[in-house]
Amino acid sequence: MKFSIRSIFISLIVSIMIVLLLQIFLQFDLVTSSAGSFVLNINANSTESANAVTSVVTYFRGFDTLGEVTILFLSIFGISLGLEGYRDKFNIFAYENSLLKIAVDTLFPLIVLFGVYIIIHGHLSPGGGFQGGVIIASAFLLMFLAKSNDFSLKHNILELAESLSGAGFILLGVLSILIINRFLGNFLPLGKIGELFSGGVIPLIYIFVSIKVSAEITSLVEYFIRIKDVK
Amino acid sequence: MIGLIILAIFITLIVLAIAIIQNDDLPHSVVLFMGFGLGSVILYFLFSAPDVALTEAVIGTGVSGVVFLVTLLQIRSKEIKK
Repeated sequence: MKFSIRSIFISLIVSIMIVLLLQIFLQFDLVTSSAGSFVLNINANSTESANAVTSVVTYFRGFDTLGEVTILFLSIFGISLGLEGYRDKFNIFAYENSLLKIAVDTLFPLIVLFGVYIIIHGHLSPGGGFQGGVIIASAFLLMFLAKSNDFSLKHNILELAESLSGAGFILLGVLSILIINRFLGNFLPLGKIGELFSGGVIPLIYIFVSIKVSAEITSLVEYFIRIKDVK
Repeated sequence: MIGLIILAIFITLIVLAIAIIQNDDLPHSVVLFMGFGLGSVILYFLFSAPDVALTEAVIGTGVSGVVFLVTLLQIRSKEIKK
C-alpha cells in the first residue's frame, strides 16, 4: 500500500472539515423532526407492526416497493442479456478445499434458516424481505465458492419462483383494489402488535419480495461466477 | 462516549475512502472497500437505523465485494493471456 504525503494531507483536511460539520449536524434535534414522528404516531394504530420501517416500506409506500423490485428485475435482465453468450459450466473459483466443502454442508441450511427468520420476522425486528432474500442468496454464493463444479442450480425452479412471486405481489395489490378500493392496502385482520401473525398484509408482501430478490441475486451471482474462461 | 466512537469511525471511513482511491493494487482496494462497508454498518447502527445496517452488511460487504473480485479475476486472466 502506498501513501503519498499529499493524500495524507488531503485526508487530514477533509476529516477536520467533516468533524466541524458534524458538530453543527449533531446540534439538530433529530427525534422531533416532523415526518418521522408523524409516521411513528400513525403506525401503531394503522398497521399493528412493531417495526415502523417495515410498515413504511410495504404499507405506506408499497407502490414504491413494487417499483424497486421492478428496477432490480430490469437490472438483472440487462446483465443476463449482456452475459448470456459468455455463460459456461466453468466456475471461476475452482478451489479444491476439502475443509470448506465439508463445512458448507452444515453452514448452508443454517444461513438459509437465518434468512427465513429475518424474512418472517420482518414486521417485528430489523430486517425484512430484501435483507433476508440477499442472505439466502449469499448462502448460494458460499455454495458456489466451496463446490466448484459439482453444484448447479435448477433453472426452471428459479424462474418459476421468480415469476410466481412477482405475479403474487401484483395479485395481492389487485385483490386489495377489489376488496378495499386501494392498491396494496390492508384487507387482512391486523392482529396484536408484537405477535408473529400480525401486521395484516405486510408479512405476505415481504415473503413475495424475499422470494423474488433471492432468486434474482442468486442468478446474478451465478452469471458472474460461471462465466466462460477468456481464451 | 458514543459521540467519540462516531467521530473516530467517521475519520477512519474518510481515510479508508482515500486509501481505496489512491491504492495501486486493485484487490487490496476491494478488501478496503469491504472494510469501508463494515465501518458504515457500525455507523448506521449507532444512528439507530438497523434495517439499513443489515442491508449494508449483506450487500456492501458480501455480494458486491465478491462481484468486484470476480470481475478483477476476469480482467487479470484476459491480460495474462494477451
